[in-house]
Amino acid sequence: MNKALVLVGGVVAWAVVAATAILVVFNMGEKNQVLMFLPILAVVVAAWFIGELVTQRVFTGHEKGV
Amino acid sequence: MAFLQRTFEKRDLRDPGFIRAIFSNTWLAPLWLAARLYLGYQWLIAGSHKVWGENRWIAVSGPDGLALRSFWQKAIAIPEQGKPPISYDWYRHFLTFMLDHEWYRWFSWVIALGETVAGILLIVGAFAGLAALAGAFMNFNYLLAGTAATNPVLFVIAMLIFFGWKVAGWIGVDRWLLPTLGTPWQPGPVFRADAPLE
Repeated sequence: MNKALVLVGGVVAWAVVAATAILVVFNMGEKNQVLMFLPILAVVVAAWFIGELVTQRVFTGHEKGV
Repeated sequence: MAFLQRTFEKRDLRDPGFIRAIFSNTWLAPLWLAARLYLGYQWLIAGSHKVWGENRWIAVSGPDGLALRSFWQKAIAIPEQGKPPISYDWYRHFLTFMLDHEWYRWFSWVIALGETVAGILLIVGAFAGLAALAGAFMNFNYLLAGTAATNPVLFVIAMLIFFGWKVAGWIGVDRWLLPTLGTPWQPGPVFRADAPLE
């Protein structure tokens, strides 16, 4: 897999986290500070999975002989 | 002078296991994530009120920072009865100096953008330790200016994240950022000519 593409994908994944947090602040503000965690947590977990399952595997694959 | 030599000789005192487990082990990364998200959201909300909206501090019609000027003026005021908001004279002199020189015009930008950026960095886990330290520094100043509110709690959480900087951003951008950039005492591949990025 193209490493540059994977790197860009990882960066975009975390940029989506930042954008989601800003959107949540704009749309939900301080109304429900428990509920507001859910969308942010969801995108954080998604970005983390992309990093662990895709980015990490592609970038360390050659060290493991994959 | 042997006792001086004995007292100040170089010794590495190791932290106990539970301290290393909390601040240096990735198994508690989910807990650090929760702390980061909470603290980051608090800063992002605080910053957003100052950057956007009708009551924003910056980019307003007229001079910037009038809200900050009002805050500083209240902070340095000495009431006829009761205690003043600021306990330390040197801090009151510091705020008075900034007021006299109209520093609130540009300092409002520093605070508004600083709070917003610190919030975003904590949420995505990029330079989480430094972002937490910057947040703690802001809490410290608000406390010195006599504003308690949520500052004591946020300060404690920020300092915990700062001490756990190695693992606080493990579920975040620091997972890849720190190994790539390294630290001032141990530069990463980006700053080492002998180490390829791949």
